[in-house]
Amino acid sequence: MENLDSQTIITLATIIIAGVGIVFGTALPAIVEGRAAVKALEGIARQPEAAGPLRTTLLIAMALLESTAIYVLLVILILLFANPLLDRFFP
Amino acid sequence: MESIQPYVVFQIGNIGITDTVTSTWVIMALIVGLTVALERWQPALLEWVIDFLNDLLSDVMGRAVGPYLPFLGTLAIFIAAANTFSAVPFITAPTRDISTPLALALIVFFSVHYFGIREKGTWRYIKDMATPIFTLPLEIIGQLSRTLALTLRLFGNIISGEIVVAVIFTLAPLFVPITMTGFGLFTGILQAFIFTALASVYIAAGAEVSEDTHRKTSPSKT
Repeated sequence: MENLDSQTIITLATIIIAGVGIVFGTALPAIVEGRAAVKALEGIARQPEAAGPLRTTLLIAMALLESTAIYVLLVILILLFANPLLDRFFP
Repeated sequence: MESIQPYVVFQIGNIGITDTVTSTWVIMALIVGLTVALERWQPALLEWVIDFLNDLLSDVMGRAVGPYLPFLGTLAIFIAAANTFSAVPFITAPTRDISTPLALALIVFFSVHYFGIREKGTWRYIKDMATPIFTLPLEIIGQLSRTLALTLRLFGNIISGEIVVAVIFTLAPLFVPITMTGFGLFTGILQAFIFTALASVYIAAGAEVSEDTHRKTSPSKT
């Protein structure tokens, strides 16, 4: 590792963090969204006449949960395509 | 990656007009033209669209949309059209530039206060917002952060769809990206609905006439 210059180290760290971050950042919201969908489906199965309001509420809740995954994606896009550390230390 | 940034097409004075602004103008002209043409020759279709939006948003708001329908319907139609245009070759979707979702979210932010003040009066609106006084900072932070969340949600969904299409295009350029473009169309329509639904929920929460403070009622879910 001693013969790597610091630009390579920053790039390597960015790539590793991007991979790990996108895995956790999409897996956790997916699990939570699955739970929300399961609960909504149970509610629809128990009370089929409540399907309409449950569907719209589920969509809004899904959107709010999905936005956490979008935040992770945006941070990783910034890291990959417009890395501020590389711009700052190696202009 | 330079393709995330919008590029300047031409200049008016010393203001650069980017490609997303140009496609916004094209979409605006198309929507207005289509509406005028439909009103002339096929008004039933136009009424169907208005009825559809009215029922959908009334379901979301939990009461009659009424005076908010022009604003919310415009949002829905514009965002749906803008996201759909991401599937058209050589036309940049306006929502893939972060300025367009930010502008839309700011319009929603100000219209929540406008509709709230118009519904309840200035003093009553401020009083309702700060009813236990310690919730006022939380309320302000919530207002700002949900505006930011609206922006990033729309922008992130559209840009991620386009990036996935671009990546698949470099791997298999023939016919394979069409599947992801179709998925992007679905996501775009869904995001238009979600943006409008969240805007209507915020407006309904802001314009909700709450009961008097000494008569505590359970907060209704709207």
